[in-house]
Amino acid sequence: MEGDIVQAAKLIGAGLAAIGVFGGGIGVGLAALGATQAMGRNPDVTGTIQTNMILGFAFAEATSIYALVVALLILFVF
Amino acid sequence: MEAEKTSRWRWGVNRWIVLGLIILNFIFARQFPPIAPNVQLPAEPIFPITLPLVGEFVVTNTIIATLIADLVLFLLAFFVWRAVRRGDQILTGITGTVEAMTDALFSLNESTAGKWGKTIFVWMATIVFLVLIVNWTELIPGVDSIGAFNAEHIENPEDCTFDTFRIGSLEVVSVGGEPECSKGVVPFVRVASTDLNFTIALALIAVFMTQVIGVRALGASYFTKFFNTKTLFTAPMFGVINFLVSLLEAILESVKILSFGFRLFGNIFAGSILLFVVGSLVPVFLQSGVLLFEWFVGIIQAIVFGLLTLIFMSLATAGHGDEEEN
Repeated sequence: MEGDIVQAAKLIGAGLAAIGVFGGGIGVGLAALGATQAMGRNPDVTGTIQTNMILGFAFAEATSIYALVVALLILFVF
Repeated sequence: MEAEKTSRWRWGVNRWIVLGLIILNFIFARQFPPIAPNVQLPAEPIFPITLPLVGEFVVTNTIIATLIADLVLFLLAFFVWRAVRRGDQILTGITGTVEAMTDALFSLNESTAGKWGKTIFVWMATIVFLVLIVNWTELIPGVDSIGAFNAEHIENPEDCTFDTFRIGSLEVVSVGGEPECSKGVVPFVRVASTDLNFTIALALIAVFMTQVIGVRALGASYFTKFFNTKTLFTAPMFGVINFLVSLLEAILESVKILSFGFRLFGNIFAGSILLFVVGSLVPVFLQSGVLLFEWFVGIIQAIVFGLLTLIFMSLATAGHGDEEEN
């Protein structure tokens, strides 16, 4: 009984922790939006923009990866 | 001419190879149902060895993956060395790929870091190549799915069926029955990036070398970035603020280690879990798409790790902007 409740709480907690991923999704979307707009205006600097876009992806994604790591830790470690 | 080419292409052999592989995929998915191996965060120990200086040392499955990646890197280096020694004017095939990558990375370094580009390139390119090969070990068939069987991970071992057959003198067990049963499989090789030891070690190397290169570029004045007492007495009000901001800079520097480590770890660990889950739910078609996605994630994470190292290092070599203004 108690073990089941703990298991259920773990699953719920992991699900709640994974909510944090949506902020990273918005961030990556905004980065891609800005990059595509900039590329549309000035196609000559596509290379530079792409490099910076991937860098922006990495920073925006980092927070959502933290949420994911917390969810995975709850599921598989505790 | 154009039409002839198209018709010849239409009867090409590649499509039949793909069709045959798909049919084989169906047959094998029936015969050997894909498994979802035991998922756990720490690397599983495989066998202990005794090293001369270290003493007792447990070889984990991620260490084996790292050694495989190292071997691939050495082979690449050997091929390039042989091609260069032979005096090839134009590198082709695998050596050409390595040359193109090295060239692209080097020009990126030159354009970002200027005269420190050469110093930074050594660290950055090493990290990119190592992380790339390590991430791509995930794509080798058998990684994460062939392993030793450990019944401790299963809750009800009596529900499982085991088919034992022999390949030569090697005894092979295929696990069947409940989906739970495959959790007992501890893979021999697990992608090294799914072990925090690997990613945090790389992050430590990157951040530490950032400090070393900063000191080499700016001398002792590099540390005023973290302990800014320059304006503390000349302009007390702003000096205190500057001092506190520089302390924050020191905290940011140590957080970089975590952010580096967890980014790579999270991406690849989540990817390998996705591969297990998709593989055990939909064994045909879908996993090929996920494998392609993981291939892409492997490249992106390697480039991001290297690019961030490059940018942090080139920021460390540049002095404070406001100092030059004063």
